[in-house]
Amino acid sequence: MTRTYTPWFLLAIALGLAAIYLFPLYWMYITSIKSGSEIFANPPTFWPTNPNPAVFADVWARRAMPTYLWNSVVIAGGVTALTVVLGTGCAYVLARYRNGWIDAGLFCILMLQVLPASVMITPIFVGFNQVGLLNYPRTAVILAAAAKAMPFFVVLVRATFMSVPRELEEAALVDGNSRIGAFFSIVLPLARNGILVCAILTFMSAFGEYIYSKSIIQSPALQPASVGLSGFLGPNSTDWNAIMAYSAIYVTPILAAFVILQRRIVAGLTSGALK
Amino acid sequence: MPRFSAWLRDGVGFDILLVGAALLFLVALAGAPLVYNVLMSFQQVDMFTLGSLIRPFVGFDNYVAVVRQPEFWLVTRNTLIFVFGSMSGQFVLGFALALFFAQNFPGASTIRGLFLVSWVMPGLVVGGIWSLILAGDYGVLNVILRSLGIIQSNIFWKSDPSFSIWAVIIANIWLGLAFNMLLLSVGLAAIPKDLYEAAELDGANAFQRFWTITLPMMRPTIGAVLSLGLIGTLQQFDLFPALTEGGPANTSNVAGFWSWQLSFQLYDFAKGATVSVMMFLLVLFASVIYVRSTRHEVRG
Repeated sequence: MTRTYTPWFLLAIALGLAAIYLFPLYWMYITSIKSGSEIFANPPTFWPTNPNPAVFADVWARRAMPTYLWNSVVIAGGVTALTVVLGTGCAYVLARYRNGWIDAGLFCILMLQVLPASVMITPIFVGFNQVGLLNYPRTAVILAAAAKAMPFFVVLVRATFMSVPRELEEAALVDGNSRIGAFFSIVLPLARNGILVCAILTFMSAFGEYIYSKSIIQSPALQPASVGLSGFLGPNSTDWNAIMAYSAIYVTPILAAFVILQRRIVAGLTSGALK
Repeated sequence: MPRFSAWLRDGVGFDILLVGAALLFLVALAGAPLVYNVLMSFQQVDMFTLGSLIRPFVGFDNYVAVVRQPEFWLVTRNTLIFVFGSMSGQFVLGFALALFFAQNFPGASTIRGLFLVSWVMPGLVVGGIWSLILAGDYGVLNVILRSLGIIQSNIFWKSDPSFSIWAVIIANIWLGLAFNMLLLSVGLAAIPKDLYEAAELDGANAFQRFWTITLPMMRPTIGAVLSLGLIGTLQQFDLFPALTEGGPANTSNVAGFWSWQLSFQLYDFAKGATVSVMMFLLVLFASVIYVRSTRHEVRG
């Protein structure tokens, strides 16, 4: 008899937990349309008395958001392209064999995955300075951030490749296909969805990239949205409706993409860890 | 030449090319900087010698100087508090949520997936939102805690020296909790259901089943999650500039942010490199655990 109502009871708890967990997001959107005095009101209002969405247009124009967002897209796109092109083949080979060399390669990649960006940024900055890459700051950031993103991509895509049956590839080889032919016509199409999900994840995280851009890019015209946001953020910031409007404009595309693709992204992440 | 192209098309050459391109890139942009970092920590680096590779070597002077910095022990202590606070929060809450969402009810996996939005958001935005929520006099968290009767007076999370590190920890737990939960959910899903049925028939209660089946079966996952948590926490950077900038008076500063401050705010690149080498040793420890636990998972 408990079986009939328990699931709905659990669903209600789950929705409650999700509401609590996602409250910060709600607060971001709500604060962005509050008036200045309402933000500092005590007790705070959980629904704005006087919603005013004009701040969005204002922040968009005054904070030069089109430039910042475009730079974010350029950097994230570059990082994703570089990561996918170089990482996919690497993941495939690491998934296909099982010997000492592969273990060593995998170990290296896992080691590089764990390096904090703050460990890497000083030597990268000094090194880029020596080879003159700092004159092309966005390219420099793309290179540095791709090196940061690639290990995670390789580990996830490797799991995707491991779920592609070897027999299909071997059959293609028996049928006279070359390794390259089998890779492009059999293996890649079968792993396409997994690769796509990982590419989207790479794009999302590169879209929020901050430390390399902040340290390497000096010119505001080339900085991404994260650096633009940091310009008016800090322990003593008070311009909250503008900050939250900026944040909302910045993250809404990512959130929308995530919610639409949620099922696939979660499936990609979970199957990646399961295999 | 035809033999070479055949080797490339059909033989090991194909594999070597694929792995080689990626590894070469990673070695150039992650491996070499790492070595360079260690090298720099033994050199005298200033704005004048920044452009040259060969610089005067100073032995362990940089290390001695870093340890003698008045904030060194404070930062070390903060780093440890930050790592253990974040990790235990993310792990315990993540495990509890994973167990909850492992129950069979409609919409479980969809709602669980929604939690991950915290993980895909830019760290700087997360820091900004929490900076507003944690504000001392008008922050909504204080209002909620007060109305629940948990605190009597407002806590100035970001500016009170005894709470500033916890402000960053709270934001970091929110950021990483969902990813922990997802990985632990995967581990839970991999446990065969008949084990639980058999244990139930034998009269084991829920707690005994958790203790004797869930935990032992989850050991490799837990190892991976904990070490990934350690690594992720040490990598956390974006929350600091958004929330406290390490202040007040370094009470919320951790090794990663300090290293960046030394290099890019004080232009003391040698000390920045030195701090990051020290931090790398900690990461090395975590990654050995991580690699070992994933190896069990793959080979097991």
